[in-house]
Amino acid sequence: MADETKSALDAVDEGPVASGAESADAGGSTGSPDDHASVAALVRKYPDEVLRYRLNAGDQYVVWLRPDRSHEILAWLRDDADHRYDMMSDVTAVDYGSGRPVEVVYQMYSTPHGRQLRIRCPLPLDAMEIDSVYDLWKSVNWLEREVYDLFGVTFRGHPDLRRILMPDDYAEGHPLRKDFPLRGRFSRAEQTRRALNQDVERFYLADDLTYGEPQEVGGAEVGHQGGEG
Amino acid sequence: MATKTVEFTVGQGREMGPGGVGTPSPLAPFDVPEPDIGTERMLINIGPQHPATHGVLRLVCELDGETVTEVVPHIGYLHSSFEKLGEYRTWNQIVPLTDRMDYLAPLIYNCAYVMSVEKLMGIEVTERCKVVRVIIMELDRIFGHLLWLGTTAIDVGAFTPFLYSFQQREKIYGLHETLTGARITTSATRVGGMMADLPEGWLDQLLDFLDNFPKTLDEVDSLLTGNQIHIGRTQGIGAITADEAINYGFTGPNLRAAGVPYDVRKDRPYYDYESYDFDVPVGEHGDCYDRYLCRMEEMRQSVRIIRQAMRRLPGGPINVQDPGISLPSKTDAMSDMESMIHHFKLITEGIPAPEGDCYMAIEASKGELGMYVVAEEGSTKPVRWRVRPPSFVNLSVIPKLAEGHLVSDLIMINASLDIVLGEIDR
Amino acid sequence: MGLTDKLPGGGSAKTTGGMFGPGSPTFLTSKVDALINWGRLNSLWPMPFGTACCAIEMMASAASNYDLARFGMERMSFSPRQADVLICAGRVPYKLAPVLRRIWDQMPQPKWAISMGACASSGGVFDVYSMVQGIDTIIPVDVYIPGCPPRPEGLIYGLMMIQEKIRQESLTKHFEHRAEDPALVARPRASEIEVVGLTGPFGNSTQQDKLSTGVVVTPDAPADDLLS
Repeated sequence: MADETKSALDAVDEGPVASGAESADAGGSTGSPDDHASVAALVRKYPDEVLRYRLNAGDQYVVWLRPDRSHEILAWLRDDADHRYDMMSDVTAVDYGSGRPVEVVYQMYSTPHGRQLRIRCPLPLDAMEIDSVYDLWKSVNWLEREVYDLFGVTFRGHPDLRRILMPDDYAEGHPLRKDFPLRGRFSRAEQTRRALNQDVERFYLADDLTYGEPQEVGGAEVGHQGGEG
Repeated sequence: MATKTVEFTVGQGREMGPGGVGTPSPLAPFDVPEPDIGTERMLINIGPQHPATHGVLRLVCELDGETVTEVVPHIGYLHSSFEKLGEYRTWNQIVPLTDRMDYLAPLIYNCAYVMSVEKLMGIEVTERCKVVRVIIMELDRIFGHLLWLGTTAIDVGAFTPFLYSFQQREKIYGLHETLTGARITTSATRVGGMMADLPEGWLDQLLDFLDNFPKTLDEVDSLLTGNQIHIGRTQGIGAITADEAINYGFTGPNLRAAGVPYDVRKDRPYYDYESYDFDVPVGEHGDCYDRYLCRMEEMRQSVRIIRQAMRRLPGGPINVQDPGISLPSKTDAMSDMESMIHHFKLITEGIPAPEGDCYMAIEASKGELGMYVVAEEGSTKPVRWRVRPPSFVNLSVIPKLAEGHLVSDLIMINASLDIVLGEIDR
Repeated sequence: MGLTDKLPGGGSAKTTGGMFGPGSPTFLTSKVDALINWGRLNSLWPMPFGTACCAIEMMASAASNYDLARFGMERMSFSPRQADVLICAGRVPYKLAPVLRRIWDQMPQPKWAISMGACASSGGVFDVYSMVQGIDTIIPVDVYIPGCPPRPEGLIYGLMMIQEKIRQESLTKHFEHRAEDPALVARPRASEIEVVGLTGPFGNSTQQDKLSTGVVVTPDAPADDLLS
């Protein structure tokens, strides 16, 4: 059992290796940016940042952005009077596997203009970091934490970046990545043992309340601790 | 040690003296030592197994006396990895997973998922299917709100509404069962249509429910709406302003209670919702009481929508007439070679999807439910199936809502958000 | 027509006589057994450990249509310290496992456990990284109720089976039945081998290898392997 655990832990440490392959070219047609005021404006204002755009599923525009200045562009989309995307419906990520970049997906909706827009930022596997937009939309608080938990994307500037769905000391990695096996990396016996070894008393510590306060963002290693096994 | 000056007056209080001025005491004021009462913050843990958390939610609260100064919600105690599992299932095999996600309004989830896949594949469902889906979605809006009503009433100490609402829920259980064979886990939809057409007599059963349900709703209404205890427990509790509600990502009745008339059915209509005549109830204060009123009114509006939909229900096939999408009838599959091959291919291989992604938002009973599916060219399974869970985002606001309220109010706020942990944790 | 038939609980001779073999219940203990068992089985206090869909059916069982109160079980005990039957209704992820184990350890003897629904009994469709594959790897289970979710009638039938089980119990066997090994508190009930045996996948709907132990898909492998 110990050897199996060890090999599985090695896999967590090594992580997936970036293959240098391009991110998936997500179908659809290019459409005409003039149909969607925000897409046209983005292409005009940030020609270097917009990687490409697509018209998917009939009427949904998707814009791929470079991740470097994503925060600035998203802030502009929120504040500019012509766009006013005041509702950040969803933040999630997509892993296509084969070492292709993990893409962070923002679903935005503008209540004044009644417009929907999807922004996707491809992150290469060796630089899984992007700016948090928590200061713009409070709604992304848990959504970004979930992406961090399940994909291992670090959101710079998020005040409270730690695992949300999996236990804090989860040692098997980030489950929604394609290199993660459906049943987890450890055997069921090991998973059961680890689950019951969780400290129930830990639930009542005052440390819990320090969560949520601004702290150094460096949680990328949290999931990689080996636990006591 | 700190001291305090004590001054005596004659009489019960200062107002007792002539002209409202207290009569001075013959005793001169003197100093007494004041005990140094240290205030210590108390930490209490609610959940994960607690009847008032409506599931396996864990709230760690810091209390000053009985006032909540900070709440940290912990979730993930029901993380069943639906999204990972979906990547190993064909498009139609995911349908049974969706109703285990929100078991309070399963049909809405069934519909939302297949709507997203159909949009991705460019499938236009038949008119009859659209209207049937509107009926079952509105029926489950009532279904979900009824459970919320019953359990919330228990949280404020009223047991009768629970029994009343479950009585009505049993009627809907019966409707589910006649329609799909299951009480909760319905799995009623398929890509391109429904599992089956409406069974004989189902509409009469539904009509019977619609006739009786408003009476029960009125009864519960009369028990709670003007009830002083209920008002005292809910009014002014957990209030949020409209701008904040949008920024924090509130959707559904929680957002509308804050005065934002955002309803996906009206603002981004699907299935001809714009042609139905119904009102969107909007609150004013954004507190627990307004959320309660919004949901009560929504149930009445849902009854209106169902009645209109029943009137316009057209005939014709319920499934798309495309052998590449819909299964052939059992008779055909058993007697016709070609149909059998279609049946076999559809079951074993699934429906190929075009490359692309699609985000479909609908108005679920708890708020904006988004289904995001990503496919690669020709894949019969999603590369990624993501659910934008409304109560996940709604619950994340609870630290802000509960701050400064009493512990008992925290329970009320939690109940008023209408959460379902199966969908929060997924 | 003897004394036994007049005693509540249907008399012990019929129900316990052959059960424990010769030598166990004397006339006195069997009468006391019958009395105590009658009391126990008609005033069970369930501890509802409801997590998911099954919890809704459990609530439906307690509501007017199915009315658990008919069986003396309307008093849902939300504190494990005052409960007799643990009804584990719904999925149990690994994150919740220590909570379930602790609640079971907190319940006083005599106690029984019901595993309600497919997910609690075997993991159900959720043969995934985060789910306990059957709570019997964590706590001892007396009655399994199949279904996804079971109907309220199913839950009531399960509770009646618990009642039947209580009716068969004898005070003379109390410590045999109820002995708790302190070393087992907060430990898995099953050994590692048993856990692996109990949780092996069945069917091939997810098209995975038998166990995921140490099997890591290397990033070089094409994504088709994962998706096909």
